[in-house]
Amino acid sequence: MPYRWTTTPKQRNLTLWPHRSLPRRGFAAMIMATFALLTVPLYPLLGTVVLWGLLPFLLLAVAALWWALERSYRDGDILEELTLSPDTIHLTRRNPKGDRQDWDCNTHWARAEMHQKGGPVPFYVTLTGNGRRVEIGAFLSEPERQNLYGELAEALRAARS
Amino acid sequence: MADAAIHGHEHHDERGFFTRWFMSTNHKDIGLLYLITSAVVGLISVAFTVYMRMELMEPGVQYMCAEGARFIPAATSECTPNGHLWNVMITYHGILMMFFVVIPALFGGFGNYFMPLQIGAPDMAFPRMNNLSYWLYVAGTALGIASLLSPGGNGQLGSGVGWVMYPPLSTTEAGMSMDLAIFAVHVSGASSILGAINMITTFLNMRAPGMTLFKVPLFAWSIFVTAWLILLSLPVLAGAITMLLTDRNFGTTFFDPSGGGDPVLYQHILWFFGHPEVYIIILPGFGIISHVISTFSRKPIFGYLPMVWAIIAIGVLGFVVWAHHMYTSGLSLTQQSYFMLATMVIAVPTGVKVFSWIATMWGGSIEFKTPMLWAFGFLFLFTVGGVTGVVLSQAAVDRAYHDTYYVVAHFHYVMSLGAVFCIFAGIYFYFGKMTGRQYPEWAGKLHFWAMFIGSNLTFFPQHFLGRQGMPRRYIDYPEAFAYWNWWSSVGAFISFASFVFFFGVMIWSLTRGARVTANNYWNEHADTLEWTLPSPPPEHTFEQLPKQSDWDRSHAH
Repeated sequence: MPYRWTTTPKQRNLTLWPHRSLPRRGFAAMIMATFALLTVPLYPLLGTVVLWGLLPFLLLAVAALWWALERSYRDGDILEELTLSPDTIHLTRRNPKGDRQDWDCNTHWARAEMHQKGGPVPFYVTLTGNGRRVEIGAFLSEPERQNLYGELAEALRAARS
Repeated sequence: MADAAIHGHEHHDERGFFTRWFMSTNHKDIGLLYLITSAVVGLISVAFTVYMRMELMEPGVQYMCAEGARFIPAATSECTPNGHLWNVMITYHGILMMFFVVIPALFGGFGNYFMPLQIGAPDMAFPRMNNLSYWLYVAGTALGIASLLSPGGNGQLGSGVGWVMYPPLSTTEAGMSMDLAIFAVHVSGASSILGAINMITTFLNMRAPGMTLFKVPLFAWSIFVTAWLILLSLPVLAGAITMLLTDRNFGTTFFDPSGGGDPVLYQHILWFFGHPEVYIIILPGFGIISHVISTFSRKPIFGYLPMVWAIIAIGVLGFVVWAHHMYTSGLSLTQQSYFMLATMVIAVPTGVKVFSWIATMWGGSIEFKTPMLWAFGFLFLFTVGGVTGVVLSQAAVDRAYHDTYYVVAHFHYVMSLGAVFCIFAGIYFYFGKMTGRQYPEWAGKLHFWAMFIGSNLTFFPQHFLGRQGMPRRYIDYPEAFAYWNWWSSVGAFISFASFVFFFGVMIWSLTRGARVTANNYWNEHADTLEWTLPSPPPEHTFEQLPKQSDWDRSHAH
């Protein structure tokens, strides 16, 4: 599901990304089916000038569908990466437009918190330390955020010891 | 980052009326706007039919006179038939109903409101584009009305070319009215295409985690297939009418034989759009009816998977049958045989749906609440319309029935009675959910019975008139057709009265209806995600993704 823990000998990594329900193969199938069916009205027009009146509109339709689906993938193109090592904790977030946001903290001072109410979503998970409070996994589903909080607190405890 | 945002207090809605309703990016508000606008346009469009039925009530011309249109027949004064006015009436009734009433209500209204809710999406994929779609629809409607009131053919106002806008009639119609009508259809087409792309993206990419394609509720499926049909067919119409526009104004000859063009090609591309269009109109209705029947039979819908495949099959088959509208335009025998067979094949997935609805009711404990009455009415009337459709699909039989009132009866049974009954079923089913108030049950039932009797009385006798050979699209008819025309007009007046009554019911219920507090005011078989929300739903829904247990039922869907 939209987050994953990986462990290397020196550190633990957590990767989080928003849920998108259309796999890339589905995107290809959708575009191909649309393209194929859009050629149907052209068959009776083969060899006539009317074909050229119609073709631009049909190609525009395929292009618009392509653009919209790509745009929807891009809007969900958020990647949060958390690196936990015994002395520092580092969180990077890549936003849809490609800009990155970073947060570092000494592992001993970092604290995971879950706010049942008051956040933009219920069970809002944040990390606090180094003078800032940052969100993590706000785009996950509710049970995922609850699990994430437990795992995060546990991982912080493990990293300190 | 993503600095944390924690407020101690709840978010307050501080937008004014104008900001909320005119600049809305909220799919629920936009859905309501679509429903209200299409109801108003529907009233205009229905008013035209009442005037037409008044004229057709008696042989001879009493109201649409060249000396001036009137509402009270003046027996003494002279009346020269004004054919242009009649043609204008049928044209704008068709254009408004096809582009500006039924699709905006079912696809724009219910689709916008409930499709994102049913798949657990927080909003549409492109909320601002959604707002643009709605306002393009309003602009298109305004252009359509402007076209009605601006100088057209025969030195009068409006164009009388029929909603299909066949050349050479449409290319030679004088005045700017025809150009405005083309622009109206352009703008409404752009609105529908943007809306369709938005719906497709939302459906494909914003389903709740774990909601695979074949777990999506049937209404959301029907909206997706409808959106896809719009995306495939409306660009074809846009191309066709753009060529009409250049033929009219820039001297091209796409459809003019004197310059090497071919008017029959226009018919091909018009109907390549036009046939899917009728499925665009009815498919969202199928989705609503499935939920209504399942809820009021207290059973899960029978055969979910075949139902989904039937929707897809109807959608795809809709693209390969267009020339059954053109049997008399000089198709070869082979072409006619193909289109006839392909058309009859559509009866198979439609039959799957009708029998699945009946099987859903089989052994259920059926409750005749208002939405269920409408669904029942739909089922019966749509089947009648479907049966006459199979009759008309026969190329040989169509020689006799082409352009007679039999065709008028057929398409009004599937669209006017089919799709419009779906709209009413949806409105009564979801009224409490959308507004937080409830209509009086007796009023909904009275509306149903008046409309059911009225519309059947209007359209059933038209089968007889068609079989007697009465042609469509004429202002007058010989004495021999008078009997059933009189009854048909009486039915139209009853239907119109019920429609006016419906507006009264809506206004009364909105202002004085009993408050609904329950999330799910029907029963546990209304089990899609919108029923887990308060009535009316809050401004923002599912910002946190819904849990699978909210929507995943062990039974069927």
